[in-house]
Amino acid sequence: MSIAKPLLDYAKSLKPQKGLTQSFSAFKRLMKYHRRYSWFIAAIVILAVIRSVLFSLEPYYTTEIIINVIGPPSNTGPLLGYLLIILLAGVGYAISNFVLLFVHGVMSQYIVRDIRTDYYCSLQSKSFSFYDSKGVGDLTSRATVDLQLVDFFLRTWFGTVLNAVFTTIIIIVIIYPISPIMTLISMATMPLIFYFTTRLWVETMPLFRNMQLILGRLSSYIQQNIVGMKTVRIFRREKDVVDGFMQVEDVFVNTAIKAGKIQSIYMPLGPAILTLGIALVYVYAGYTLGIPGSALAIAQVGDIILFARYMMRMTFPIRDLSQTLGTWIAAYAGLERVFEIADTPRNVEDLPDAKDIKIEKGKLEFENVTFEYVKGRPVLNNVTFSVQPGEKIAILGATGSGKSSLIYLVPRFYDIQTGSIKIDGEDIRDFKLDSLRRQIGVVLQDVFLFSGTIKENIAFGKPDASIDEIVQAAKAARIHDFIESLPSDYATPVGERGVTLSGGQKQRITIARALLTNPRILIMDDSLSFVDAKTEQEIQSAIEEATKTRTTLIIAQRFSTIKTAEKILVLENGSVAEFGPHEELIAKNGVYKRVYETQFVQKASPILEETGGT
Amino acid sequence: MSSSYGAFSTKQEEKRKRTVPDRVLIRRVYEYAQAHRRNLIIGAAATVAGALTGLAAPYMHAIAIDQIIMPKNLSGFIWWVPLFAIIILSNYVFQYIQTYQMRVVGEKVVARMRDDMMEKLQVISLRYFSEGEMGRIISRPTNDANTVRIFLRLGLTSILVDVSSILGSFAIMFFLDFQLALLAISILPVAIVLVWYLGKHSRAAYRRTLITTSGLTARMQEDLAGIKVTQAYAQEEETRRKFLKSQDENVKATIRAILVGSSYTPFVIGLRLIGTMIILFYGVAAVINGTILIGILVAFIEYQFSYFMPLVDLVSMYDQYQSAMSAIERMFDVIDTKIEVMDALPERSIALQ
Repeated sequence: MSIAKPLLDYAKSLKPQKGLTQSFSAFKRLMKYHRRYSWFIAAIVILAVIRSVLFSLEPYYTTEIIINVIGPPSNTGPLLGYLLIILLAGVGYAISNFVLLFVHGVMSQYIVRDIRTDYYCSLQSKSFSFYDSKGVGDLTSRATVDLQLVDFFLRTWFGTVLNAVFTTIIIIVIIYPISPIMTLISMATMPLIFYFTTRLWVETMPLFRNMQLILGRLSSYIQQNIVGMKTVRIFRREKDVVDGFMQVEDVFVNTAIKAGKIQSIYMPLGPAILTLGIALVYVYAGYTLGIPGSALAIAQVGDIILFARYMMRMTFPIRDLSQTLGTWIAAYAGLERVFEIADTPRNVEDLPDAKDIKIEKGKLEFENVTFEYVKGRPVLNNVTFSVQPGEKIAILGATGSGKSSLIYLVPRFYDIQTGSIKIDGEDIRDFKLDSLRRQIGVVLQDVFLFSGTIKENIAFGKPDASIDEIVQAAKAARIHDFIESLPSDYATPVGERGVTLSGGQKQRITIARALLTNPRILIMDDSLSFVDAKTEQEIQSAIEEATKTRTTLIIAQRFSTIKTAEKILVLENGSVAEFGPHEELIAKNGVYKRVYETQFVQKASPILEETGGT
Repeated sequence: MSSSYGAFSTKQEEKRKRTVPDRVLIRRVYEYAQAHRRNLIIGAAATVAGALTGLAAPYMHAIAIDQIIMPKNLSGFIWWVPLFAIIILSNYVFQYIQTYQMRVVGEKVVARMRDDMMEKLQVISLRYFSEGEMGRIISRPTNDANTVRIFLRLGLTSILVDVSSILGSFAIMFFLDFQLALLAISILPVAIVLVWYLGKHSRAAYRRTLITTSGLTARMQEDLAGIKVTQAYAQEEETRRKFLKSQDENVKATIRAILVGSSYTPFVIGLRLIGTMIILFYGVAAVINGTILIGILVAFIEYQFSYFMPLVDLVSMYDQYQSAMSAIERMFDVIDTKIEVMDALPERSIALQ
């Protein structure tokens, strides 16, 4: 099976069924975001009326010039007056157009900002399981690239719709009194144009949407198979990857060309029909106006010119309207992607009667805890154990035995399905999430530092910490001396534009970060392997210091950690295989003893297993 | 792999100076287009023909008014109506061919460039994918390729249409009345300078938004990459506050860019208006003197419209053109990468982990 098979199936499964009408619900939701800006809306309506009126004046006064100035009888007297009116109307049009575009643009920025803020807030409250399956790049591009498409639509859409409506109305108001029949003739083509424009978008919209969706998937495919290419190379699947890519791309190109074909049929049709409509007006006027055999009166010629020119003017709003529909298609696909994420349920939330509870002692109890990521496939099964205040528990187990899941349940990064977890006798679900998490120190497996100074990173959990507190935490984490050696010690920036830190240094900074909040309970995922002996020793010393007085759950990779733990918990396939102090478990002659002998006694290396886990 | 920097890195890179001259890039893209030369030639020819037949309409209106309707010489419709219909029809057919053929060329050229990139990405050294580089690499076959796609599809066609409309209008105006044509294009130098000058300002404002946008993107990426830490320390509010601040900066910069960008339309419209004034002022006198007919005067006003709008359009195309060129350069950058580790020891590649 080709690597690209799922993607190819996806691309082919995209049926062009979701049409213009399906986008209505997204449109309605977008309209709700407009509500806060009713003053902008009102201003746009007023400006649009003014703009349309002024836009329509020039042909009218040009005709006046033809009739009254050119004549016969010719009379250049009023020419300057007419020119002045045309000039003023034009200046007025330019100004109202400018103000309208600006007001519209500002509104679009505010709305995009509101949508992005909602999206960001929804992301902040998603549980860990959400982030386990979503890439940062993809989530970010929804807030930037996709929302930019929405921005393009929002910048002009309302003004364009109003322009088409008002301009049509005003033109009809001007020309109807001159000749109702000619007005009918010239407007006769309108429904046809409207029909073809609608057809164009009804037919191409699903195709464009599919293209955008395929493109989105293609980038994650590239990310997985090109950037994550180690596996691909190990298994020699390069050709598969490229072949698969080309197949998907074929689907994309064919869809694009198909859309192009439809566009090329319909797009030039509107102006063509409109122009033919002008010919109808000429022929009708030619045959009905004036007396056969003698020249037409200048007033009648002026009227014909007026009709023809207004019809030509109509092409602009029609063209703009059609383009706006095009930007809507892109915006819709973008909105869909943003709302899709925003609407994903949170999973972990405060219960209605959750409280702020202070953790006094730090006693931790797991009672018959069962936890699953996927329904029916429990990662932890009926786990029961309890930890006394201040005790350190080392957790051992093979990859996939549920170690990380186990410790991450305590601060409710995931919620359990059955059983309960209690801190000082209170169920963790009775805590407010904020209150629970602030009181538990966490050192994650993936050490992450924010760009900013070392000081800011250590003080992350307590932004108002004094420098003394920070130094104290750093000392406890055995990183103070290193920080002192840096050019601007605690103010040294880290991250992309800052100093490069080793994994061991980063880990100790994250330990300092955890210690600064002085938590009663500490959970640590100490999966950092492959460090040199000195670093190893420093990390060890830091961990010992950190866990001295705190209730600690630590995923252990080193014997030194296990040795200093009060108890050891061995996980096997999501169940507690053994739990107790080192000597007791050795005496038991079970799993722990086996692991102990094969991993720690025979090997000099303290590495239990490769870095891994969930 | 949780930290990927796709999305907007294109924008970040846009700030980088380009090194390869345009003509080299154009020539290389043309090499890709060679495989579809027939489509390209037919498409380009149809584009020009479409623009020119489109320009015939105002002149046909003038003929209808001056020579058929006004003198009540209705038998003229016998030839005028079919001719007009043929022109409109052929204009439609040309536009149809143009849209379709240019689409085929654009899609296929970009697809082949993308294929070449993918193949190359499979064999070049893993060092190319060092941390932080990933997003940039991913954006090349996706975002960059898409920029070029859209440019080849819309931008290139627009440029062809605009240039032929401008030159075509000039030709017709000079054919109709030399003196009035000179007057009609007298504002051209001012227009070019003004449009260029204002365009420069709006481009600069636009570029500034790219910087704040990439700042916002970077902030978002970091916040998401560190979301687990943020949640673990219950620092959502603090992080959100910083994000919203960075977003507000971006909104401000964008609003500024919109202000600068839209402020040049009134000038353009004003200038066009002056052109119309000039034509009306001298044209009316010419009609009264009998030098030109009324229909021609009206045609002049329309032709002035049909050269001025493309001119503005052409200038606004400049940005699109620039970013397409940068994207093309980056794509070739991948295609041209020297292969460092070329299957030296195929069986040992396991050791790469």
